[in-house]
Amino acid sequence: MGISIFFLALVFGIHIVAVNVGIALATLVPILKRRAESTGDSQLVEASRGLFRIYAATYALAGVMGTAFTVFLLSFYPEFVGVAGNITMVPFGIAIVAIVLHFFAIVAYWYGWDAFDSRTHFYTGVLLTVTAYLIPLGFRAVFAFLNTPIGLEFDGKPSLNVLQALANPTFLPLYLKSVVGALALGALFVSAVFAFKGLRSGELSGAEESLYLDGLKWGTVGLFAMAILGAWYAVSLTNTPIKFNNIFSSLGWAIQGVQRFSDYSWLFLLKMALVVLQAYLLLELMVLRPGEAATKRGYTYSILAAVLAALTVLTGEYLNAFSQYPYFVANLPLVASSVPEPWRTILGRSLDLRNTSPLALDPALYSVTILALVVLFAAAGYFLYVVFFKKE
Amino acid sequence: MNLLEQWLSYPAAPDRVLSTIGIEIHWLILQYVLGLPLLIAVALLAYKKSGDSRWERMARTMTKALGLVFAVGAASGTASEFGLVVVWPNVLEAAGRYLFFPLYLEIFAFLTEIVFIYLLVFGWGKLSTNAKIAVAFLAMFGAWFSGAMITSVNSYMVAPTGIVPAYDPFSGWKYDQGYPKVLLVVPREIVGVLDVGKLQSLGMEVVGDTGQGVAVKMPSRIVARLAAEAWGGVRVRDSVLKLVVKPEAVGAVGDLLVKDVVDRILLLTVQTVGYTTVTFQSPVYPGTLLHSIGAGLTVTAFTVLGAYSLLLLRSRDEKSREYYLLGLKFGAIASLLTVFLQGAVFGHVMGEEIAKYNPEKLAAMEGTSSSILSISRLLGLEKLMAFIAYGSFDARLPGYDGIPVDYCTLLGAPRVTDCRPPLVVHYLYYAKVGLSVLLGLYALLLVLLLYRRANLPGYLLWLGALSPVLAQLVSFLGWAVREIGRKPWTVYGVMTVDVAHTANPADPLAYVIVALLFLGALAGLVYASWKVLYEPSVKG
Repeated sequence: MGISIFFLALVFGIHIVAVNVGIALATLVPILKRRAESTGDSQLVEASRGLFRIYAATYALAGVMGTAFTVFLLSFYPEFVGVAGNITMVPFGIAIVAIVLHFFAIVAYWYGWDAFDSRTHFYTGVLLTVTAYLIPLGFRAVFAFLNTPIGLEFDGKPSLNVLQALANPTFLPLYLKSVVGALALGALFVSAVFAFKGLRSGELSGAEESLYLDGLKWGTVGLFAMAILGAWYAVSLTNTPIKFNNIFSSLGWAIQGVQRFSDYSWLFLLKMALVVLQAYLLLELMVLRPGEAATKRGYTYSILAAVLAALTVLTGEYLNAFSQYPYFVANLPLVASSVPEPWRTILGRSLDLRNTSPLALDPALYSVTILALVVLFAAAGYFLYVVFFKKE
Repeated sequence: MNLLEQWLSYPAAPDRVLSTIGIEIHWLILQYVLGLPLLIAVALLAYKKSGDSRWERMARTMTKALGLVFAVGAASGTASEFGLVVVWPNVLEAAGRYLFFPLYLEIFAFLTEIVFIYLLVFGWGKLSTNAKIAVAFLAMFGAWFSGAMITSVNSYMVAPTGIVPAYDPFSGWKYDQGYPKVLLVVPREIVGVLDVGKLQSLGMEVVGDTGQGVAVKMPSRIVARLAAEAWGGVRVRDSVLKLVVKPEAVGAVGDLLVKDVVDRILLLTVQTVGYTTVTFQSPVYPGTLLHSIGAGLTVTAFTVLGAYSLLLLRSRDEKSREYYLLGLKFGAIASLLTVFLQGAVFGHVMGEEIAKYNPEKLAAMEGTSSSILSISRLLGLEKLMAFIAYGSFDARLPGYDGIPVDYCTLLGAPRVTDCRPPLVVHYLYYAKVGLSVLLGLYALLLVLLLYRRANLPGYLLWLGALSPVLAQLVSFLGWAVREIGRKPWTVYGVMTVDVAHTANPADPLAYVIVALLFLGALAGLVYASWKVLYEPSVKG
């Protein structure tokens, strides 16, 4: 596996965790702000504003990592980008439109906090929330296509039948699993934010403590929901037999007659271990020792649970992505024979992750990349320190 | 001649219109990202030196504006990036295959921008003045670094490294000799199967041996045809290449995809030139970089000028008038400096490069066609313009009517019916130049009046308030001339628009919706700026 894959994985991993937190905060903050205004709870207004400040910063990080991913993809796999660009206008189009609106909503919501009237600000928040769910809708449609290319048609050129593509059996479970996972992580993230504050300052305002406990509660519900949705997605992967076997065949579940190209059962087991640890911590806080949730120990457990949730999301995404290695489209070996020439040759080459662009194989490029990433992550770390931890 | 009809006659008209809207809106916004960090740093330096808190207030306001425009600019940039992927996938793929390095470095430029711009915005109250100055300069570095990377790729699209134009200002057009030509390095094994005699009869010139291959100047009509075949899934046996492959080799290479042959040639060419430097060696790069950053600075300076003009006109806060006057003075001086540099120095450098390497575009810009009313001809400027472009009164401007309509095609491919650039750019160009001169004169007058401590009449302040719009218009027209004037090429001499664009364009209605969305986001940004920056200032 070339180093290019790891660069892609690094930026994608940061992007996806930040995006997941973002989906939750984009949902939560407008609701909290609205609730605070209707009840006149100034503490809740401040708490939600603080959360939105975190969101703006994490979204910036998510955005830049998303861009980095696209450019890495273009540099390492240009032919894949060319092929994908020619056939995925509609799903990408949905995501593009949503991204523009979402970015705009973030800016308007942030700067309009005191400048807009309450009603306008709320509707800006609605736009923020709706677009937060539309962005993954477009991208998950593409990811489902990368599982199995349903809707791919050839009429002198490759094209996509959008309705068929949306009926991809892996699309709905993948999308729902993604957004529920994001909400679960986001809820625990909110708890962790206030837990951190509790550890530092020793006390939380009433609104903050309430948010802290609500975050734990909804994080627990989300974790439970994920167990069901995760199983649904796993079952839907029977439509993507190569991927299914790459994950599960070592564990004794295999689709017979289909080759296994790699073994990522260990990543699946790691993910499950993270889920179990999370469940244990939440059980401790919510059921076994509920009175200790707002203590030093409880705060520490909450932060740990959020970290584990982030790692769960990360390992889940990596599992989904790596388990189709070495192909961009997991089912490619099974559908290749039905693709007419010359597209069979072109797709066979462009959808193979081992075919890195020759010019991008220069070791000097990788050295520069590693050095630049180290410097920039250090700068980003300083930025986060100044914004969140340094006192005025 | 119907100028609009001519412009729309090139392939992929809806795609081009949508891209114009999307990319121009992104450019409109990001010019402030290029310009504001420098002005913030200067204002902070002035504050450090004078201790006058008005400078700090000005820097703070500009930082707030920077945070606002950067966020929306990042959104429009992301949208433009994905737009390029889905609307022009083939040119993007080509860029990713051969020119990826500046795009790759752009990631780090973007990271630098985002870290330091947001550090300035969110960390304002937590950083010392010295730290803020340093961060502002680093933000400027990130933005200019980013601009340097992107404009290198755009420069390559305007004049690829190794392009040999079809015009000599003293002897005229050279289409009959197969120009324009593109310098390529053909791998030795490919040379071995080609009938070089036949290729030379088509205009190919052998330059020399490079070790791994043979450097040739290949007529761009052949290159464009090969690009069309490469992205059309054509095999050698069905390609124009079959005409120049040795008969005994057709059997062996007939099943190869033209894309593979083109790929080998372009890879070796880029490896020979240097994959990290290929775009930076574009002959129009220096002028492009200077003129682009200059545009950002000019637009930003006029916007500062405009904002403080408006505040002086509308503010009810008498206490702040001194501050607004200081802001106006700052904006006016910056505007005068930048508009002068941009027009007389940076613009001239770029103009000379275009004259030399994009003669067809220059012919359209100067409107040297008998079928339109040419402003330069009407004003008797043709000799002067030729002198400015080529440095000699003996030089002649390229005549538009001498450009063959089919110079970019070979045997009907790529599918372009008119290879000449659209003449509408003549009027766009002269509108841009005229408005620039007016803006320069206005800035000069304002600075003179401010230095003479004269009372500024209201209409002059209203003109100031209007000047950012005019500066943006000038900048818009500049890019319009550059991009529209390159048609029908996407990469001059290499790839035409029909080859670059998607095989599966969307319904025009979808394009209209996306375009409206872009315009809506822009309107939203203007509204947000009004509410967040202007209204609080007016209220004092």
